[in-house]
Amino acid sequence: MDLSTYFKEVGRHKLLTREQEVELSQLIEKGDRVARDRMINSNLRLAISIAKKYQRAGCSLEDLIQESSMGLIKAVDRFDWRKGFKFSTYACWWIKQSVRRHVASHATSIKLPTHARGLLWKMSVLKEEYEEEFGVEPTQEELADLLGVRKATLAAIIKSSRHTISLDAKVGGRNDSDGRNLADVIPDESDSIDEQLDRNQLVSVIRSALQGLSSREEKVIRLRFGLGENDTDHEGFGITEKQINKLEARTNEHA
Amino acid sequence: MSMPKGYKSKFGYATVSDDKACLGYREIAEVMSDSGDKMNHSTARNVFLRAMEKIARPVCNVYGGDNPKEIAQDPRFQECVQEVVSGIF
Repeated sequence: MDLSTYFKEVGRHKLLTREQEVELSQLIEKGDRVARDRMINSNLRLAISIAKKYQRAGCSLEDLIQESSMGLIKAVDRFDWRKGFKFSTYACWWIKQSVRRHVASHATSIKLPTHARGLLWKMSVLKEEYEEEFGVEPTQEELADLLGVRKATLAAIIKSSRHTISLDAKVGGRNDSDGRNLADVIPDESDSIDEQLDRNQLVSVIRSALQGLSSREEKVIRLRFGLGENDTDHEGFGITEKQINKLEARTNEHA
Repeated sequence: MSMPKGYKSKFGYATVSDDKACLGYREIAEVMSDSGDKMNHSTARNVFLRAMEKIARPVCNVYGGDNPKEIAQDPRFQECVQEVVSGIF
């Protein structure tokens, strides 16, 4: 069944009045399967409308509708008519929770824990409110303060929530087999085999040339190129205390 | 040895100002003198360039080039040797 047929099917079920909801809930409590099915079918529109809001999160609408329907079923089974609320008010939370959990585990290839995903939702809501109020985007520090988390934690969660793209994805949205994929157009910046061979040869030539250096020349080269045997060991080069202080002063000058 | 008037090095001069760990000839001379090998900055430079020349000679044999002394003074060559040598030492 495709989506449009499903939507038509769902549209055939009429919405319930508050009295009908109470009546059906009482029957469900007594174990009436027909009443339960009617309650579910009559509220599928709510499940679909909530699922549609999460379409941009990177999951297919079919999957989202399925998850929201599962949430709806959970809500039908747990609805307590005695509390006096409308069913939609109660069901809304179960449906959202179900869809969000699905999005959290399927939207990206990096799986984030539910609390981290929750934090991202809170952050996006907060960001919108902040922008509305002040007309500028909040900084990461401000967001971390408002959310009550450390900046590093927030930065790590944001970094992990980035969408990944497959190297096999087609460029320009083409899905045919002729189109080029991302791997074809991203240049390889590593050395070619020729360059690597050349480099290896140069290294071996220089290595053998180094054997012919006197210890004095080697020492001067090391000093010139800043290649100490051990950064903390100055004795190898016989540097005096005075010299160390002088070098430190020079380093501080540069810093 | 001063350069003739109007002389301009083709590829600039080799300097060590970018890297804090690298030393200038005067500093090298001081370190060497303190460790018992007394020398001034000119000697430090000469020793360094002689070592560079020793490295440039076999490189010239393999890759071509008839003036190892000139190559040894080339800052690009010195930079390249620095890169390779830091992987070896």
